[in-house]
Amino acid sequence: MPKLTINGREIDFKQGQTVIEAAKDNGIEIPHYCWHPSLSVSGNCRVCLVELEKMPKLVIACSTLAAEGMVVHTQSEKTLQARNAVMEFLLINHPLDCPICDEAGECKLQEYAFDHGYGESRFDEMKNRKEKRVALGPRIMFDGDRCISCSRCIRFSDEIAKATQLTFVQRGDRVTIKTFPGEEFDNPYTLNTVDICPVGALTSRDFRFKARVWDMSETKTICPGCSRGCNIEMWVRNNEILRLTPRENLEVNEYWMCDWGRLNTFKFVNARNRIDGALIRENEVITKVSVEEGISKTAQAIQKYKASQIAFLGSAFATCEDNFSLAKFAKESFSANNIDFIRYVDETNQDDILIKPDKTPNTLGAKSTGIKPGNSGLNIHEIFSEIKKGNIKALFVMEDNPAAISDDYKNALKKLELLIVLSVNENETTELADIVLPAAAYAEKNGTFINFEGRLQRIRPAVVTQNMERSLDGMSMSRLDKFGTKYDSWASGHRVDAQPSWKLISMLSQKLGGKINYQTAEDVFDDLVKSNKEFSGLDYDIIGEKGTQLDSFIKVKETV
Amino acid sequence: MENIRIVLPEIENIHEIETYISNGGFKAAKKAFSQTPGEIIDQVKKSGLRGRGGAAFSAGLKWSFMPKSTDKPKYLCVNGDESEPGSFKDREVFEKNPHQLIEGTLITCYAIGAKTAYIYIRGEYHKWIKLMQKALDDAYAKGFVGEKMKETFGTDFYCDIYIHKGAGAYICGEESSLMNSIEGKRGYPRVKPPFPAQNGLWGNPTTINNVETIANVPKIIENGWEWYANIGVQKHPGTILYGISGHVNKPGVYELPTGILLTELIFDVAGGVPGNKKIKMVIPGGSSMPPLRGDQLEGVRMDAESLKEAGSAIGTAGVMVMDEDTDILKVLARITKFYYHESCGQCTPCREGTGWMLKTLNRMIEGNATSRDLDLLIEVANNIEGNTICALGDAAAWPVKFTIQRFRDELEQYVKPEVELPIYNKVHSMRETTVPLGVNKR
Repeated sequence: MPKLTINGREIDFKQGQTVIEAAKDNGIEIPHYCWHPSLSVSGNCRVCLVELEKMPKLVIACSTLAAEGMVVHTQSEKTLQARNAVMEFLLINHPLDCPICDEAGECKLQEYAFDHGYGESRFDEMKNRKEKRVALGPRIMFDGDRCISCSRCIRFSDEIAKATQLTFVQRGDRVTIKTFPGEEFDNPYTLNTVDICPVGALTSRDFRFKARVWDMSETKTICPGCSRGCNIEMWVRNNEILRLTPRENLEVNEYWMCDWGRLNTFKFVNARNRIDGALIRENEVITKVSVEEGISKTAQAIQKYKASQIAFLGSAFATCEDNFSLAKFAKESFSANNIDFIRYVDETNQDDILIKPDKTPNTLGAKSTGIKPGNSGLNIHEIFSEIKKGNIKALFVMEDNPAAISDDYKNALKKLELLIVLSVNENETTELADIVLPAAAYAEKNGTFINFEGRLQRIRPAVVTQNMERSLDGMSMSRLDKFGTKYDSWASGHRVDAQPSWKLISMLSQKLGGKINYQTAEDVFDDLVKSNKEFSGLDYDIIGEKGTQLDSFIKVKETV
Repeated sequence: MENIRIVLPEIENIHEIETYISNGGFKAAKKAFSQTPGEIIDQVKKSGLRGRGGAAFSAGLKWSFMPKSTDKPKYLCVNGDESEPGSFKDREVFEKNPHQLIEGTLITCYAIGAKTAYIYIRGEYHKWIKLMQKALDDAYAKGFVGEKMKETFGTDFYCDIYIHKGAGAYICGEESSLMNSIEGKRGYPRVKPPFPAQNGLWGNPTTINNVETIANVPKIIENGWEWYANIGVQKHPGTILYGISGHVNKPGVYELPTGILLTELIFDVAGGVPGNKKIKMVIPGGSSMPPLRGDQLEGVRMDAESLKEAGSAIGTAGVMVMDEDTDILKVLARITKFYYHESCGQCTPCREGTGWMLKTLNRMIEGNATSRDLDLLIEVANNIEGNTICALGDAAAWPVKFTIQRFRDELEQYVKPEVELPIYNKVHSMRETTVPLGVNKR
């Protein structure tokens, strides 16, 4: 491999890499604003100016190709002088409104000003004023004063979102960003520009002014919005999810996620219509009881049904662990064969970027953990037609809402003798249920999803339920978690009385004298690994933060 | 002084195609087409022709950068954006001798293997765009340009020429912005490398030459490179279209050999300063070049090497003369305003720095500046210089830096001595900085 020297250290690089890429691969960060690993090089911010030996002028590391024997200095006096100069230029017209800026705390301008700035201002003139609070689109707010004209948002829209909607207008220090005439900045990926904006010029209209970033905890998890399974960070304050941001995974979503997934996959967790404790319907009166009591009532009600009279619905919204537990429970306690799950496929809503037609995160996971009809068992359509005929009398639904699928399904549900629903929120199906057990949302539990191409990825709890403790359950902690007192509003946020579906099923199995007895999601997964060779050799550590490709799906991956 | 005219001959109506033909027009092209492109490049290289657009780079050498074997189309851009304040020479070529420019374009296209050439003319030159278009139409009609060339010259080679109008941006005279402008994009300079010869118009090999440079080419081919190399000074031969403006009795464009004394140009050619006033400042090459003080002019010759030695540069040879009554501060503020207005805003130092310098200079005009601001201006200029994508940053920085350095005494009269502010008015740094503040070390 060819080698170059940065700050006296010899490093390897790949032919065709730029200096900044070679440095990054070797853990050396060269400051940059406009450069982004998956966007074209624009070279406009000039913060990455570095000194090359035998070159009279400084060069920008983002566009200079690494060459054998090149000697680069990123900390020489000349380099620092130029970097300080650029920082000073960027700051003279910047409003310095960090105290009211959403970006503060994760702002590159703030960070580099601290690391590389003069530390004081020599600028005695009036600052330029530009347009503020410009709604570029339905989800994006623009502040012209804060913008450093790095063009990342423009390049993102052109190159990644394939939607030419943004442009620079004007010249010199009057340059600002606008949508093209008659255009709105409304492509399905606009919120990514908020993430890549190195300053607070672009803010999310959903999140702005909601929280200081350092007051939130961040948890590495997976977006459940479609079968892509974009890797995300979940940001929580006061036990409330405030935003999702994409997390780098070059195998799945690169650095991006769609706006729909970002805005619509967490609000139901915070919502007021959560199932909070078990609900029992007796003589058309709904009573709220403890989870324990709900499990007892369920056990009493369900045990009289024979395999031919009962059906189980797993869910592609639930984890592999939940589905595996359900399949195992159905077989062990009822020898049931009528087991399937509902598919949510919308061929009209997909693209070549991230969005997949399958609107669930775990279709392959449900399939490969045993959520499919057993010997001469009924599939999903047959289950509902048999319910209508009166042959299926009891239905056990986990984390799904069949009543919302069609009136046909809804009417069928009304014919049941017994409808048991494990649900996160109140919905059309819980309204019809005899017993509703409170299922923890994906943001409140450990587990795994398998995405559309067979990649097994982990979700992690970011929000605590009544039976959890942030510090004890290994959850990520915010500043207030670590240093706040119990008198803070922080500690008094509401906790839902809910349990992961696998746990509810495990409790139910115990009540019915079954053998299923899991304490943690990891227990379930280990059991899954033992009983299904598709998962053999895996554990939570091996899956890691970025997931692992399942061998059995490599063919799937090649065809998609 | 010998009376050699290469680009602007003293022939009446030479701008008309019949007159141009009857005076030997397009014979150089025919001669060129009978030789190999390599031979043409070689002759231009040996002639010593250097670019007239400002950088004075060897034209033949530039052409030789074009890849010989490539499947891609190649392009020639003839740069007539002519936006530098003090520069108005290319206009004369469009008006007085357009066919020589067209002939030069044909020969250059042949030499570099281009099938298409664009003559880029600044939009404000409305009249000259029309004149140039008429000349081009005439040349097409007579079969000197386009596919008919094959018959006219009896050769396999042909090329097309298009006139492209600028839309009012100084930056589009910068070669890579010019290409973006032709492509219909925002006039932003491109990051180099890659250079135009590898990756130019639409990603294809491209050469960009100034109008005056190209207009020299037919005569080099016609009279031979030795003839050209012996005109003017050896290292920068030929004639230059000197554009003299400001406080002189006879401003205008004069074609004279390189290496003429600056004083001869001002006093003999341009008739001296009105009222016989003293000269305070001369900018020898267009407003971005470092100015010379009135007492620095003696013995300075007008060619690239001599002017470099004298602490300035030939630029476009747009000589601006300012007499003793000139307010240097206002001149500097006006020049700075130009670069502030024309900065494209793409890269940080130029975008932010030009505005900063202008604001400080305006404050100085209002009488609210201190001598510390003069030092600060030099530091800001130094921080722009060399740190930008294109040369506009340098163009904005040099006038400020060199005017303050060379006219410090006079500028000191506009500023108050620095006063010590009360301590509570000072901004305190919260931490040690990586590089100590203070005078820029450059």
